[in-house]
Amino acid sequence: MRRSRPFRDIFEECLELVLVKGETIEECLRRYPEHAGELKSLLEIATATQKATAVQPSPEFRERARQQFYGALRQMPAQKKRAGFNWVGQPRWATAITVVLALVLVSGGTVAAASSSMPDQPLYPVKQATEQARLALTRSPLRKAELHARLADRRVAEIVYLASKSKSEQVRRTTQSLDRHLARIADLASTHQMTTAGEARLTAPMMTTPAPATEKAMITPPSLGVEAAPLDNAARVTSEQRAELRTIVIYQAIHHPARLKAALMNAPPQTRMALLRAIAVSETGYEKALRSLEDER
Amino acid sequence: MYEAHFDRIYRYVSFKIGDKVEAEDMTQQVFVNALHSISSFKWQGKPFTAWLFRIAHNQVVDYLRRKTKKPVTLLNESLLGSDSNPQMVAELNLDIERLSQATQRLTEAQREVISLRFAGGLSIIEVAKIMGKSQGAIKALQHSAIVALRKTLLVRDNEKVETVS
Repeated sequence: MRRSRPFRDIFEECLELVLVKGETIEECLRRYPEHAGELKSLLEIATATQKATAVQPSPEFRERARQQFYGALRQMPAQKKRAGFNWVGQPRWATAITVVLALVLVSGGTVAAASSSMPDQPLYPVKQATEQARLALTRSPLRKAELHARLADRRVAEIVYLASKSKSEQVRRTTQSLDRHLARIADLASTHQMTTAGEARLTAPMMTTPAPATEKAMITPPSLGVEAAPLDNAARVTSEQRAELRTIVIYQAIHHPARLKAALMNAPPQTRMALLRAIAVSETGYEKALRSLEDER
Repeated sequence: MYEAHFDRIYRYVSFKIGDKVEAEDMTQQVFVNALHSISSFKWQGKPFTAWLFRIAHNQVVDYLRRKTKKPVTLLNESLLGSDSNPQMVAELNLDIERLSQATQRLTEAQREVISLRFAGGLSIIEVAKIMGKSQGAIKALQHSAIVALRKTLLVRDNEKVETVS
């Protein structure tokens, strides 16, 4: 069976073993004695090629480049400030919940303290309640998806923390929560397309409040008639929200699995399985979310 | 993104351009460009690494087009770290020179596979995604490229032996 494999596949397998896994050429030749002669000379050329190309950036250049990159990162246009909470547009029950929450929680800085609490700390239930309230009060599907993305970011930070404390059961529970956030992003992104038209119609009347002259001039395309403007504005806002969501999800899709993998390197043995599960959840979850966002385009 | 890919992009660009100063500038620019166009990154089954190397590839192509010269793939001495062992540098320089000359005889696709696979340190799957070819096709290109390099290098060795004798 082995003899029927194309030589290029055998060569590639040996390349991986020698260049990546550190096996010697001789060890590889013993696996394929029938190809030993050809493999030996090709693997020698390949290892010489790898050595020749293994140039390293100088420490000075590395530092200079790092500073430039992070400088550029800081100079990137900050995301637009979110519009303030729209009291008029919220149902009365939501307003009431918010007032009660504010009265109960804000006093003494409890909310602020809770926002950075971890699942093994006393204020964590307050953090969870605040998050649930924010989700309940966010009406726009895209904004809700964005909030789920930001909460997913929190869950990843918690998983990394819990793994470092050897709390594998809590890592598992937090991973389930991460999974739910990512699934909701995908759901909201995929259902958003169907509701966009309706949302635009609903949003349009709320935008009849006169805007300051400069703001209005900014958001009204000059070539369109007065009647068409509100609908187009709503579509434009929606498009911007979708773009923002995509940027956040892409960023996290890159960073979260990498962050969890980095945690895995230093994790105590008893939490490694739970972390592997978290890595798998983050990779598949973000892929699904991104696919849902791509489908809309 | 940055920490995980910096060295690989630098090696890839260095191998393609063969000039330390230009390679450093271009490596920096690759990451800044990636940062500015991150919102245009489309998942669609193509991993982020492939997207980043595509940016690097395009910049190399633009650079070489501006310079109106073919890819040189010449690694000059300055690309070697200053803290390297002098004897190793001498040996490596010889290898680099021979490799650079030998790669000039490869096809463009073979050269790209060697650049991505060895200098960029990418897997066959990643190279296949970047070049838009099947894994089998990349393995075949890799094999033929190494065979061609061997032929060129061995011919030169034989020529040297004949000259000495």
